[in-house]
Amino acid sequence: MNGRKGIDPQTSCREDVALESLMDLDKGRMSRLVFQHPGLYERELERIFARCWLFVAHESQIPKAGDYVTTYMGQDNVIIVRQKDGGIKGFLNSCPHRGNKVCFADAGNARQFICNYHGWSFAIDGRLKGMHASEAFDSTGFDFEGHGLHPVARIDSYRGLVFATLDDRAPDLADYLGDMRYYLDAVFDMDDEGTEFVGGCVKSVIRCNWKLAAENFVGDALHAGWTHDSGARAMVGEGVDDLHKSPERSYQVNFNGHGWEFNQDIIGNCASLGDKELVKYLYAMQPRVAERLDDFRSRMIGSISSCTIFPNTSFLAGQNTFRTWHPRGPQEIELHVWTFVNKSAPPEIKERWRKGSMLTFSPSGVFEMDDGENWEYATRTNDGYVTRRQDLYIGLGRHTRVHDTSLPGNVYQGQVNEANQRAFYQRWLDLMGAAVWSDVPRRDVPTEAAV
Amino acid sequence: MNDNCAMADAAVDMLLHHRITQFLYREARLLDAERWGEWLALMAEDIHYWMPMPENRRRADRMKAYEAGRGALFDDGLLDLHRRVARFKQPSAWAEDPPTRHAHVVSGVEAFHAEAAGEYVVHSTFVNYRSRGERDNDFLVGRREDLLRAHANEFRLARRTIFITQSVFLAKNLNTFL
Repeated sequence: MNGRKGIDPQTSCREDVALESLMDLDKGRMSRLVFQHPGLYERELERIFARCWLFVAHESQIPKAGDYVTTYMGQDNVIIVRQKDGGIKGFLNSCPHRGNKVCFADAGNARQFICNYHGWSFAIDGRLKGMHASEAFDSTGFDFEGHGLHPVARIDSYRGLVFATLDDRAPDLADYLGDMRYYLDAVFDMDDEGTEFVGGCVKSVIRCNWKLAAENFVGDALHAGWTHDSGARAMVGEGVDDLHKSPERSYQVNFNGHGWEFNQDIIGNCASLGDKELVKYLYAMQPRVAERLDDFRSRMIGSISSCTIFPNTSFLAGQNTFRTWHPRGPQEIELHVWTFVNKSAPPEIKERWRKGSMLTFSPSGVFEMDDGENWEYATRTNDGYVTRRQDLYIGLGRHTRVHDTSLPGNVYQGQVNEANQRAFYQRWLDLMGAAVWSDVPRRDVPTEAAV
Repeated sequence: MNDNCAMADAAVDMLLHHRITQFLYREARLLDAERWGEWLALMAEDIHYWMPMPENRRRADRMKAYEAGRGALFDDGLLDLHRRVARFKQPSAWAEDPPTRHAHVVSGVEAFHAEAAGEYVVHSTFVNYRSRGERDNDFLVGRREDLLRAHANEFRLARRTIFITQSVFLAKNLNTFL
């Protein structure tokens, strides 16, 4: 890219895009083609979604053997199921015979999954058990062993959050999350019992590119005061605090494309739910978290903040909404939203959070409804042939890196910043440009002492 | 949903049925016109306004499609409804300007005497069609079960349960009531 209007004018939907032409992050520029180009989207399915560790379930959703949820890894539908030995397995939700879906429920408990088409039946460990008219298969020397459900490559969890990858060469989950684990503990490890999901999953469609949602949660504290002014006034009677005026107590941190923007006000996000009981609960938790973890992280438990775990899972501390932005082509996502709570919280506190998170962050939520509108039009304008050749600004907060710090990851001063968005797109570029995991540049190395 | 199918003897008389139907039509017209304040005035103090998101569950599952305590686009008391209206009315509700065009269609009204005197269980179906900007058109179809309470010469809505059919909500937001 060569400055303001430097995108290669030869680039079109029908041609390959040179990745290096898409970003000049040091200059704070990026191309809009990343939100529009069908070829780039296909490559994302291969190099991001078929390769990264993706959030697939919370352990609390599937406590007993046979409990399952169905979800997506990219556009691949998967079943995540608790095993008899307490482990968790994941499979493509597709019969290896003729490809039909084998599980049509969102969640439930199963002793087996039976395909509607020819009655192929699979145990919860994925093994093929039998089928309609099995004698016909027996007599032709059919290999039962080789026709189980296709398993995900690896599955692992951190603090109750279950992740899976479809690439057996991916680094370990602990390495993949790296220093983000230190920060995740502030929300998912407040006490011995950790968190659980309450209520079900609310699913909706937004006609936007998945990265606009992910980048918003990875670092866009800037939009809160403008986009969500109406929601904040409705919920608490005043606008969002001027976050940019007090950068000394707020940060952006990132690690290999994961990022969290936050301040240290303990309860700022939570307060926007307009429920004093929840604020009281967090204030009571804070000293206990300080003792368990440290004072710094205890001030993040419900503060004004947002986080994305690369590539497409995000949450808000304090508002307790947890979500995955499943890609559906370059211009659409399917949004899955849950509410998380501390398992040890009193039942009425859990219920207040379920209601509060839905009132604010669901399709009818007073905050979320403005996000969807912004992301859809930030996507759709790029249908314009000339429009999509005008690059975009992503340069806020350059030179805010904090070098002299004991905090893990890459630390930036001031949450009103685009440092995390730049780190998100750097990781995106690194993955898109690497044919195999071993070629992905190793920019951030976990600080073992931090976790 | 209550099964009032075999309760013809508890059905309200024609005049009351007419008044109830007119109440629902007027409510729909207030929503079409974004006359939020007048719409809120139709709510009883103890309103429970609930719209669960259905889940795909197997028939044998004890958990059914619509369950209390699960995900819901509305699970509101009066304060929550007031907060939603407060957002619609903010000058900074950028996404509401230019305004959305609404059509709330109500049909299939059945009304029955509830257990308490002066209360009525009212079933209806609805189509909600919204258009924004150039080509944003979203519609929802569903069924409602209301509890209406006689109030002065009119009614107040004491409970509304809204059963939509979509398990994946096919729109970026829901910026109205149903």
